Amino acid sequence: MNRVGRASVMLALGLVMARMLWTGSFGWFIQQRMQIPLLLATIVLLALGLYEGISGTREEHHKPDTVFKSTAPKVGWLMILPLLVLVSVAPTGLGAAAADRVEAFKPAEETELFPPIEESSDGPPEIRVLDFVNRAIWDESKSLQDRPMRLEGLVVNDADVPDGFLLTRFLVSCCAADGVPIQVAVRDVGQTFPNDTWVVADVVWREPDIPYTDLEDDVWNVDAELISITVDPDPPTDAYESPYE
Amino acid sequence: MVETRTSDDASHGHDHAQCDGDHDHHDHDHADQGQGTSLGRGYGPFILVIPLLLALLIRNQFDALGNADFRLWSTLFVSVCIQALPFLVLGVVVSGLIAAFVSPELVERIVPKKSVFAVPTAGLAGLALPGCECGSVPIAGRLVGAGTPPAAALTFLLAAPAINPVVLVSTAVAFPGNYSLVGARFMASLATAILVGSWWARRNDETLLSSLTADEHSHVTNKFHTFVDVAAKDLLHAGGYLVVGALAAATLQLVIPRSVINSVADSEWKSILIFAALAVLLSICSEADAFVAAGLPQFSLSSRLVFLVVGPVIDLKLVAMHAGVFGRKFAMLFAPVTLCTAVACAVIVGRFML
Repeated sequence: MNRVGRASVMLALGLVMARMLWTGSFGWFIQQRMQIPLLLATIVLLALGLYEGISGTREEHHKPDTVFKSTAPKVGWLMILPLLVLVSVAPTGLGAAAADRVEAFKPAEETELFPPIEESSDGPPEIRVLDFVNRAIWDESKSLQDRPMRLEGLVVNDADVPDGFLLTRFLVSCCAADGVPIQVAVRDVGQTFPNDTWVVADVVWREPDIPYTDLEDDVWNVDAELISITVDPDPPTDAYESPYE
Repeated sequence: MVETRTSDDASHGHDHAQCDGDHDHHDHDHADQGQGTSLGRGYGPFILVIPLLLALLIRNQFDALGNADFRLWSTLFVSVCIQALPFLVLGVVVSGLIAAFVSPELVERIVPKKSVFAVPTAGLAGLALPGCECGSVPIAGRLVGAGTPPAAALTFLLAAPAINPVVLVSTAVAFPGNYSLVGARFMASLATAILVGSWWARRNDETLLSSLTADEHSHVTNKFHTFVDVAAKDLLHAGGYLVVGALAAATLQLVIPRSVINSVADSEWKSILIFAALAVLLSICSEADAFVAAGLPQFSLSSRLVFLVVGPVIDLKLVAMHAGVFGRKFAMLFAPVTLCTAVACAVIVGRFML
């Protein structure tokens, strides 16, 4: 590929990245903290692309004998493949299909003390799904006992939870490819939601008869009983709110 | 470098000289398309715009595109690419700077003559590059081009993504309080890099290694121009192979059933082998692999150490990138040697430190 070709690929990449940064949809694919590195990379891409495009076009016209001295292998064209997938499939992050494939995350023992959960003025306090699971398994002071909590997450229907669903968030440390689901089995729901619906659920932890740590393997769920549920009017999927924890 | 530009380019240059008088600036691309004689010149914008428009047209048109597994595959593929992009850009900026400002004379002055000194020095120099493995491939390629002994450049290639501060800190965050694991990762990775580097210093088979040379820039005096040119070229070169690797990694993530992982947790040797295989197949970024390993607590620490040591030095996307930058023959030899060395180092270090 010649310099103008290289410039086109870099500009296309840069523009698509700039758009993803602008809309926040990059959050479906990578962790929020990668935003600044991605922004810097986008700026460099656009600057390199502009310089290559301008000087490449100029070179073609003014110094015909030095043109095409500088080529890159054709494999570089493959870099538009992710752009094509983005545009044609418009993928939107991890959901039920991903949760079915990977065992839910069971946090290792928390060494720190759990801070008290602050009350909220409108309804039960909202906590992260990871925090809920962590406290359910490891909090010796049982801060979740008999106390309604508000959780926000995706619906994943599962044969193990016939009377409800697995309320799911994904733990993503770098990009969606390393995502692991964190799940709370919400029981006694009484209605069904399609997979991947964002819901806000007020739940109370159902304490297990045997402590989780005495259960075999990692096949158990943290259970919770439903108090009330609404379809999330404002799911954390755009405008810089990460869908992941 | 796998480039075919000899006869092709000559004909382009010829075409260009002919066209130049006939068309003004803006008509060029269109004229070329019409004539269809000089593919390779001026067709860049078209090869790009037409597929993008087609992709936009088929959006939401086919049920197959809405298939849940296919959408998941797309998410995984795109996220591996996007995640690597900042590190790739950092890598090619450094490789561009090397090509523009580091002369073979300078390398000769800095790098120790004897490989006994050069290889460990290059390994420790890996501490200075905060990034993951995608960025260090073009850098190593340019280092060889600038006259660095290949053994030292390869040592740097293996060490940088595994022992830099960002990776060590993220390992410490993923395994809170477990400093012996961070230390073991550092030791085993550095040992792998130095051993493989020493192996290459002994073998030093120049015929196997194709390198990125700077000679094509001898006619250019403007250093900034060289910098941009090399950075752009390396970005598309390494980036293209990165995409190949991402395709493979996303596909394998979908194909490997999770039950395989859980069924081997009971046997130490089996889990070491499975973790080495996973590190190669999943191709997870070295800044994230510690978190993945932390999420599999049913396995022993030493088998997870294998995952952390193998992943940054060799995986599917790296094999694709090595083949692109250093040549296919080299990659086919380098991959198994590196893999075996990394597994051995991780097992031995794990036995003593964990």
